[in-house]
This record gives sequence, C-alpha cells and structure tokens, in this order.
Amino acid sequence: MSKQQARFEPYDFNGGTCVAIAGADYCVVAADTRMSTGYNILTRDYSKINKLADKCLMASSGFQADVRALQKVLGAKHLIYQHQHNKQMSCPAMARLLSNTLYYKRFFPYYTFNVLVGFDEEGKGCVYTYDAVGSYEKVGYSAQGSGAKLIMPVLDNQLKSPSPLLLPALDAVTPLTEAEAIDVVKDVFASATERDIYTGDKLEIVIVNADGIRREYAELRKRLIH
Amino acid sequence: MSIFEYNGSAIVAMVGKNCFAIASDRRLGVNLQTVATDFQRIFKIHDKLFVGLSGLGSDAQTLYQRLVFRHKLYQLREERDMKPETFASLVSAILYEKRFGPYFCQPVIAGLGNDDKPFICTMDFIGAKELAKDFVVAGSASESLYGACEALFKPDMEPDELSEVVSQALLASVDRDCLSGWGGHIYIVTPDEVREKILKGRMD
Repeated sequence: MSKQQARFEPYDFNGGTCVAIAGADYCVVAADTRMSTGYNILTRDYSKINKLADKCLMASSGFQADVRALQKVLGAKHLIYQHQHNKQMSCPAMARLLSNTLYYKRFFPYYTFNVLVGFDEEGKGCVYTYDAVGSYEKVGYSAQGSGAKLIMPVLDNQLKSPSPLLLPALDAVTPLTEAEAIDVVKDVFASATERDIYTGDKLEIVIVNADGIRREYAELRKRLIH
Repeated sequence: MSIFEYNGSAIVAMVGKNCFAIASDRRLGVNLQTVATDFQRIFKIHDKLFVGLSGLGSDAQTLYQRLVFRHKLYQLREERDMKPETFASLVSAILYEKRFGPYFCQPVIAGLGNDDKPFICTMDFIGAKELAKDFVVAGSASESLYGACEALFKPDMEPDELSEVVSQALLASVDRDCLSGWGGHIYIVTPDEVREKILKGRMD
C-alpha cells in the first residue's frame, strides 16, 4: 500500500454555466449566479459576467479564484494598451489577448471556461468560445460550464444559425431578434437548472447593443431537489 | 474511455397522451472507429412493451436474449403478456444477479400498462430503477439528451407531435456526441399500432 500524504490541491470547482448568443446588431451573454464547492453552495448571488472593455464582456465558469486572477491580468494588459494606443481594445484583439494569456499558463492552467462577447470590426455581434488553455473560435453562440453539455444541443436546434459543425464555416450570427434570443436563453437555463445541480438561483443576462449595455435578472430554481 | 462509452449509444423514451415513443441512434463503434451504421438497440418484447439497451453492444445483445427467453417462459406459464412494471422488476433482478460481474448496459423500458397507460423507466447497470413521468435517457449522449428533452418536452402530446419532439431531441443531442449518431430509429407506440421510423441525420 503506497504512503498517503497530504497534498496541496491547487484547484477547486465552483460550478456554474455561461451562455452567449450573437445577433446581427446585439449580443446576449448570460450566466447563473450560483457559486458552489462540492455539494455545498457558497453563495446564490455571484456574478460571473465581467466587463473587459467598452463593448467587450467575458463570462467565465470553473474555478472563480482563477477567473479573478485572469481578469486582473487582462485588466492590466488592457490598461497598458490604452496608454500606448490611446484607444480601447477591439473585441477581436481582446479575444486573441485572452487566448495568449491562457496559453501562457499552458503547464499550470487557469481552470476557467470562458466565453467572450462583443462587436467585431463591422459592428456585428460576435461570440468567442475558449477552452482552459486558450484554444478559441469565433462562433454565433456558445455555452460553457457544468450545464454546457445539456444546453448546446438545444441552442443548435433553436437558434437556426448555421451550426458550428458545418463545413465550410458559414457566417454565424443568429437571425433571431433580441427578445427571441433572450427567451431562448431563459428557456435553456430553466432546463439546465432542472438537471444540473451546479446551476440555479438567479440568471443574470447582459445585453449589448448600439444603445449600450443593459442588465436583466430572472429567477431560477433554488432547491437542488424538489 | 469508460466501458459504457466503448461502443457509443443514445436512447430516449418519452411519454405522450396514451402513447409513448422510444428512440435510439444507429451507430456501433469500437472506440472512435465506426463499425456499423444500422445497429439495433431497441427490441420488442411484445406489442406494447419495448426495451432499449445502451452501453456495451455485446452485453446489450446477450441481455436481450435472456430477457426474451424469460418473457417467453412467462407467456407459456401465465398465458398472457408481461406488464411493463413487472418486466422492469424482472430486468432489475437479472441485472442485480450479476452485481459483482455486471452487464455493462443501461436499459430503458417503455410500455403500455393497464388501461393502456404509458409506462417508462430506466435503471443503472446493476438494476436501480428510476421511474419517470416525462422522459428517460441513456447512453454516451445522455447529458445532451437530458438538456434537449428537458427543453423540448411538453406533457400530453399526441403521437404526431411526440414523434416530432423525440426526433428533434435525439438528432440535436447525438450531433454533439461523437460516439453516437448515424441516424435514428424511432418507435411510436399507441394502443392500436406501432409506428417505426428511420431518421436520417448527420451521417458522422
């Protein structure tokens, strides 16, 4: 029998799900507000959505301490960029910066599952989806986190965008209106809350469009069992 | 890769108004290599009772042979078909018999019981039954199936609408799982008839 020694475990899993949808002239990003560890709930009121630049937001699930650290690093790099170039970073530039920042820690990764939303150079909505070490792709919609596997098939089915699974890759924004997209988001989170213990409590939805940034909240089931 | 994901599978059963639907994918693989695109996972026990067996293909086939044997014996002795609830208990007992050397299968049982009331249930590989009123899922694509069914399900659907919902849920879910797919096989069962449909989806 091998000797059992106490080991420092550097990671924890705080759960949560994030979803993002890009439209022709709007972006929607949503995340639940539950933060858990193991079978316990740490708080029912934690925001996973963060603003990186004027019209660029990031939603992250996974290990929230790493998420905080990642935001600090990105915030610092963005500030330096603003000093050097006298303007805010564009969303595609921020997307590449995030990818490089994640890969920098390839051999001791940030345990974060991110989606970035914003507007591209043409003013159309865009969503970038990441894995933990920085592999990224521009898509029309994405889900990350504990409920992602439950949600992605429904987004594939409901958003009527060309699926990211099609080849050659087609322009990916959904033809749905902003209100319809928000309804889809509320529906998928209601479904994910039923079957995923880490998702629930409240749903925070942030909508970015030409008028600016708007925040909405929707209630989700609070109980794990019912 | 887990032994349950060795062959890849996706099974769903859903309850409608005086009817039920049971559907599966058609792929049989060996890890990532596809070996068959017409593999049957749903079997008829009698006109109003179907069982879908996900997990290891070889155990699914063996278990099916044992279940058919036991049902035929039951028919000879009792001179009638088995009720779905009884059949579910039989499957559970047969699986638990092999508690320390199990069949690597997760069965999905669907049937019309007394007064043609739809009955569905699933169980884990050692026979822990899980009854449900709305839908049950099994296989390597089960997480995707849970999400899709939860979003698309409505209570008391007529057979046509139920068939549409099950098809959409199955195809959307297997498209996100590389181990299942190559089309779908759906049975819609009402008290009067059994409708069998082959679905064409992404053939990968």
